[in-house]
Amino acid sequence: MADPKEVKRLQELAFEMRKKLINLCGSYDGIVHIGGDLSMTDLLIGLYHHGMKVDPTDIKAPTRDRFLLSKGHGAVCMYIAMCLRGYFDYDEIVRTYGKLDSAYGMHPCKIQLPGVEASTGSLGQGLAIAVGLAFSARQKKESHRVFCMMGDGETCEGEVWEAANTAGSYKLGNLIGIVDRNKQLMTSLDGDYMHLEPYADKWRAFNWDVVELDGHDIGQIVDALDNLPPVTNEKPTVLIASTIKGKGVSFMERNVGWHAGALSNEDTQKALADIEADFVKVRSVAQ
Amino acid sequence: MKMTFNFGSFLSARSVMGDTMHELGQKHSNVWALTADTGGALVAFKKDFPDRFIDVGVAEQNCAGIAAGLALEGNIPFIAGMIPFMTMRACEQNRTAICYQDLPVRFIGTGGGLTSGGGSTHNAMEDIAIMKSLVNMTVLSIGDPNMVGDIMILSMDYPHPLYIRLAQGKKDRMLYEPGTFTYKIGMGITARDGKDATIIAHGEMVYVALEAATALATEGINVRVIDMYSIKPLDKDLLYKAVKETDNIVVLEDHLMDGGLASTIADAFVDGNIYPKNFKRLGIPQVYAGFGSGEEQRAKYGYDDVATIAAVKKMLA
Repeated sequence: MADPKEVKRLQELAFEMRKKLINLCGSYDGIVHIGGDLSMTDLLIGLYHHGMKVDPTDIKAPTRDRFLLSKGHGAVCMYIAMCLRGYFDYDEIVRTYGKLDSAYGMHPCKIQLPGVEASTGSLGQGLAIAVGLAFSARQKKESHRVFCMMGDGETCEGEVWEAANTAGSYKLGNLIGIVDRNKQLMTSLDGDYMHLEPYADKWRAFNWDVVELDGHDIGQIVDALDNLPPVTNEKPTVLIASTIKGKGVSFMERNVGWHAGALSNEDTQKALADIEADFVKVRSVAQ
Repeated sequence: MKMTFNFGSFLSARSVMGDTMHELGQKHSNVWALTADTGGALVAFKKDFPDRFIDVGVAEQNCAGIAAGLALEGNIPFIAGMIPFMTMRACEQNRTAICYQDLPVRFIGTGGGLTSGGGSTHNAMEDIAIMKSLVNMTVLSIGDPNMVGDIMILSMDYPHPLYIRLAQGKKDRMLYEPGTFTYKIGMGITARDGKDATIIAHGEMVYVALEAATALATEGINVRVIDMYSIKPLDKDLLYKAVKETDNIVVLEDHLMDGGLASTIADAFVDGNIYPKNFKRLGIPQVYAGFGSGEEQRAKYGYDDVATIAAVKKMLA
């Protein structure tokens, strides 16, 4: 079981991160993919602040775990998770986000922002790249893992399943997929048009080990990350995290209109109040 | 300049590629071979370096993505495959996963132009237009089979994405005696000198151009032939020199006339404000061609040696 102190620390970080996301969304003169940012916030906190071996002072360390954000439109969420870990400066992100010559934009660019493992944003491409990283690590007998965060919507892309097929066939046990299973696409809910279920069975059919969890329960996230199989495992692993798009903000949760958007001052305050209330609820359940 | 036009001799570019892959695999521990179920020529590599050989099955997009991942870790992945699927099915992966990140992935494609014999699904008449439009991508088209090996070795020091177009790759004409030329990305070869006109070709069409030049010589017409194997970057100096010295330019290629070498050369005329007196392009018109050998189709669509001879004579008339 996860250490309660560690869970509390991570919950506080997730709360901090949501506030930073909302404040950035409120201050930026354009749209932010806030819905899917809020759905993977707890997962990214779990990864960058607990599960992954990373060192912001040595971003090229060969031993580091690799992280790929296949759902690249969630870049800002990754920037903030990394900034809380000491990679980047939050004020600089807020000051320059989306502006000319900024390193911080809507989709992550590794050339402009060292520390990011790969440039992503074209949906469905991340897993194949992660498979390449995993092949390389195994061949060089390196012991790190490769983590690839996907949105469930992007797993409509065929390339995801081509890559899943390869990873399963070649038994890449050092590859960990994470699906932010918020059951929404950009413009519809899962089931309106596309039916993604039986979702876990699809991954199992491609010879992956599947762990299903609540992607907003930090304790479950910590447990899942603490109990990953060794890199020599005969199968890759996918964590299918059930999440809520827009998590923590009443008017965004499960609302197709909030895949992405901008926030007025008034709605920023309302969103911050919601997040505070949600955090109080999380803390009271924990105690 | 020493040259051998050994019209009778053939060699398989695919087997040269396979042999060179094996050689590179031995010398460089970061060389990988990838294929989407078309790795027949990679048998030796597969046998000796199984942990650096990946066959992804019929999944070209995935193949490109995995190559990107390998290259991000300091490896040099070579993808061997059929051109239409390598360049079109995986076009966006080539662009976004590989070229955007400027990764040293090598693409070696077979079945250039109408040589595949498979009909329009397998013909490759758009690949140069597509690949040259990708920022950071280098585009080479090679006819001489030995040159394939030399270029692959040369590519080990090249830090960018690189596309090598081959014809069918099963039976390729040897144009140059091995060791005659030092190849370089961004350089063309004067395969035959001449002053009356210049035929510029790439890939297996260089041999056709040389045949046309030989025939024209019997009529006293002295034609230069340039093997413009480096399409992007283009050897503009060699091009402008040919314009200045011969003033008549014919481009011969097994590719759509729109978007291939001829278009690249026309762009260079505009950019350099240097124009020949006569310019004619011979290649595939706007058509989805049917079945038949590459030679038969070249004759049908008007870009064989007969058409080339006629085009040169018309310019000089």
